[in-house]
Amino acid sequence: MLRLTLFVAMMILVVPGAWVVLTAFRPNVEVMARPPVWIPQQWTLNNFLGIFGFLPDRQQGLPVPSYFINSMVISLTSTFVAILVGMMGGYAFARYRFKGKGALFLSFMLSRTVPGVALSLPLFILWSKIGLIDTKFGLILVYMAINIPFTIWLTDGFFRQIPADLSEAAQIDGCTRWQAFWKVEFPLARSGLASAGIFAFLTAWNEFALASQLTRTTASKTMPVGLMDFTAQFTVDWTGMSAMAVLIIIPALILTFIVQKHLIAGLTFGGVKG
Amino acid sequence: MKFFRSPQATPYLLLMPAIIVILAVVLVPLLVSFWTSFTSYNLVRPDSLYNFVGLRNYKRLWGNEDFWWAFGRTVVFITIALNLEMLMGLGLALLVNRITWGQRTLRTIMMFPMMFSPILVGFQFKYLFNDSVGLVNNALFSLGLITKPIPWLVDGFLANFSIIVAEMWMSTSIFAILLMAGLLAMPKDPIEAAKVDGCNALQVFRHITLPFLMPFIWIAMTIRSLDVARAYDMVKIMTNGGPAGRTELIWTLMTRTGYQNSQMGMANAMGYVSILLSIAFTIMFYRNLSKARVFMGGAQ
Amino acid sequence: MAEVHLSKVVKRYGSLEVVHGIDLEVAHNEFVVLVGPSGCGKSTTLRMIAGLEEISDGELKIGDRVVNSLPPRSRNISMVFQSYALYPHMTVRENLGFGLKIAGMKPEDIIPRVDEASAILGLEKFMDRLPANLSGGQRQRVAMGRAIVRHPDVFLFDEPLSNLDAKLRGQMRVEIKKLHQRVKTTVIYVTHDQVEAMTLADRIVIMRDGYVEQVGTPTDVFENPANTFVAGFIGSPPMNQLEGVVENGGARLTDGTLVQMPEDIASKLSDGAKVVIGFRPDAFAPKGHSLHPEDRSLEIALPVIISEPLGTETIIYTQLGGKEVQAKMLDPHPLQDGESLTFTLDLERLHVFDGETGKSMRA
Ligand SMILES: Nc1ncnc2c1ncn2[C@@H]1O[C@H](COP(=O)(O)OP(=O)(O)OP(=O)(O)O)[C@@H](O)[C@H]1O
Ligand SMILES: [Mg+2]
Repeated sequence: MLRLTLFVAMMILVVPGAWVVLTAFRPNVEVMARPPVWIPQQWTLNNFLGIFGFLPDRQQGLPVPSYFINSMVISLTSTFVAILVGMMGGYAFARYRFKGKGALFLSFMLSRTVPGVALSLPLFILWSKIGLIDTKFGLILVYMAINIPFTIWLTDGFFRQIPADLSEAAQIDGCTRWQAFWKVEFPLARSGLASAGIFAFLTAWNEFALASQLTRTTASKTMPVGLMDFTAQFTVDWTGMSAMAVLIIIPALILTFIVQKHLIAGLTFGGVKG
Repeated sequence: MKFFRSPQATPYLLLMPAIIVILAVVLVPLLVSFWTSFTSYNLVRPDSLYNFVGLRNYKRLWGNEDFWWAFGRTVVFITIALNLEMLMGLGLALLVNRITWGQRTLRTIMMFPMMFSPILVGFQFKYLFNDSVGLVNNALFSLGLITKPIPWLVDGFLANFSIIVAEMWMSTSIFAILLMAGLLAMPKDPIEAAKVDGCNALQVFRHITLPFLMPFIWIAMTIRSLDVARAYDMVKIMTNGGPAGRTELIWTLMTRTGYQNSQMGMANAMGYVSILLSIAFTIMFYRNLSKARVFMGGAQ
Repeated sequence: MAEVHLSKVVKRYGSLEVVHGIDLEVAHNEFVVLVGPSGCGKSTTLRMIAGLEEISDGELKIGDRVVNSLPPRSRNISMVFQSYALYPHMTVRENLGFGLKIAGMKPEDIIPRVDEASAILGLEKFMDRLPANLSGGQRQRVAMGRAIVRHPDVFLFDEPLSNLDAKLRGQMRVEIKKLHQRVKTTVIYVTHDQVEAMTLADRIVIMRDGYVEQVGTPTDVFENPANTFVAGFIGSPPMNQLEGVVENGGARLTDGTLVQMPEDIASKLSDGAKVVIGFRPDAFAPKGHSLHPEDRSLEIALPVIISEPLGTETIIYTQLGGKEVQAKMLDPHPLQDGESLTFTLDLERLHVFDGETGKSMRA
């Protein structure tokens, strides 16, 4: 009974995603077939070739390669900077007492509460005025801002788990505070920072609400925006869209599995031990 | 200037970049948004940005039935979704905690929906619930349960149901995973002591396990409430507020007003309402978290 | 040469002052122990010397340099932490060599120094292990090794033995003492364990609530406690302290007993003054078991409430001046609870403290 319930629960979690993946590898006729074809009878890569524009006969209006590159550039850059800036902030919260600490921490967290859609309205106005609309830089800035508070939260927790003694011992051993950080605290926090990084990457990689309003052309459109455009097209191409969906999932999938353990520990204990 | 060289300045210097970015990308836009919500700003007429109209936008919202429907639907949606996710997540966590083999694999499977972009989840369920080619209808046909397709995303009630299903699929495992971590961290002694004191399984859960899990539940609630608005992405791709506004949430209504109808002033007024709504949910859970973690002995 | 001079050193956290103007001179190669109850500011003082806490006021000199504003690395000190603070991601060898590497020393110069330290502390077998795979005692040794490789001017220890079990603590105490004989340096050592303080120190500094109560050699603070606090803190079992009122060169206790006081002290006091008399259990012995049977300030028959035979001696609990007091019987014979014994109190070793201020009247 226990196992049956568990099995059903796991099926519910796996099947929807798996179904999209299967669709990505089957020809369009199978999708339309009646009675339905459960397991693909003819595996094919044409859907992927199609969205990358290698099949001239398949009507294909979307420049998926440039979306993919945009997504990569934007997500990687914003993640790198957000981790750097967020790590500094998290360290400050973990190691120093200072005036206004509680209020500042709360403000950071509140800034994360603002829904992306709501923020997109004024950002759209502002970015239009200063020419950041439809630039990668404009989106990178936004994703940095979204990811910094959460990174601060996570890294604060990670640094707090490292006893302050270690940095002090290193300073007595002759390090400057700066050296003590890089030689002792940073290596110990590294795995935590990696998972914070992946969290930030996923947030940027998956974000849609802001990207859909702040991008216009291939100069900055990202994969999620591309997928939306795809579904809004005139003819419904389920297999092509599924292929694109798979392209969005894969990087996320790989990264998440690498760090899943730290991710959970960081989230829970950073928060519970406050 | 001298202050910046003193040791007291270090934390502020470390926080400076973060503060600057947040000021530039969140606070300033919020101020702009605030101002805009008091103007009749229309994207088509740029100079209307300086046309101050006082509380007119808010007054109109107050009397706007569509807005109130969207607002009410959003609150109900958040409440139902979060509570169901929490209950299902708790159930799942307890279930997985009961078994001894393959916990790692199960946890990995549970991580699966967490890495899906909301837009992907939306797409996936749009496909699954499609009336002609969707998996759900196909399966029901094959099992002989229905003879004509169920219009999942076309009927108002079913569309709302489908959206909640998608939302739960996306977020239940976050609760499950965080609560599993809680169960794992839970000391065994109190449970054994309670058993010795004569508690049955249900009483142990009620009086020992659940209180211990509370901070983890609130943490999960807080984390989730931070980005409830990502349901926007899902709804946008699944129904875009349709059919006939029956799945309209405050977020979809806001973008329609702002970008399609160009009424930025009005849209920003709605934006402010939605921001306050998010903050209210987050603060509610965060305060419970602070209360709950006192007995966990956490430093503040 | 590395003396350490503290003059009027103050520590404030915001408006809260926790160390109130400490004066202390530590001589070259001297082993000084700071001791006191929990929260009295020992660690804070040590950390100010280390440079880990800012000095709010006053002056700190190491050698002839004022080091108030120097960072820890420029003070040429080393420190052993209570938690050991070993770098978890480095092997024992790397832990030991870290400070030298940071100082820019060449690897071929580091090796002999690390080997020397590991030989002194018997760490050769563990050099390539990570701290997580060491026992408590071994970790403690690594922490000390890390401190000695750098040949510092001053060694600082903050309760280095408090995470060890009683037996190991005893062993390590001896090792620290040997280490100090071998590696001559100035040592400042913090503990709240008065036995550790007595056995290790050249001089003991007793602190309470951010003030220094007394500084002196172990015998000095034991024999001549400056006040009731020190008298109660140093020595185990603690000194008996009884309140009384001066009357004819003696002290009348609350139960009416009159205790004779040494003449030089009695002459300073007028009748009616409040005093506290103190005596260690070994100064209060059953008749015939006393060290100095001649001069006695009191001879009294009291019932044995309970007795604790410890082999070479027996601790006897009895009642005097309305309080429970402890007596020590050397060369003991078995006792019955309730049995009445005649006790004598050694006049030479009677302490008298001012009843108001708690200060010793001997000074
Ligand atoms: N950062 C701080 N802010 C405020 N007060 C502090 C701070 N650090 C220490 N104190 C206070 O200073 C006093 C002295 O602390 P300290 O750590 O020096 O005590 P200690 O003598 O080492 O005690 P223990 O034997 O318990 O280690 C304590 O009352 C403590 O509460
Ligand atoms: Mg201490």
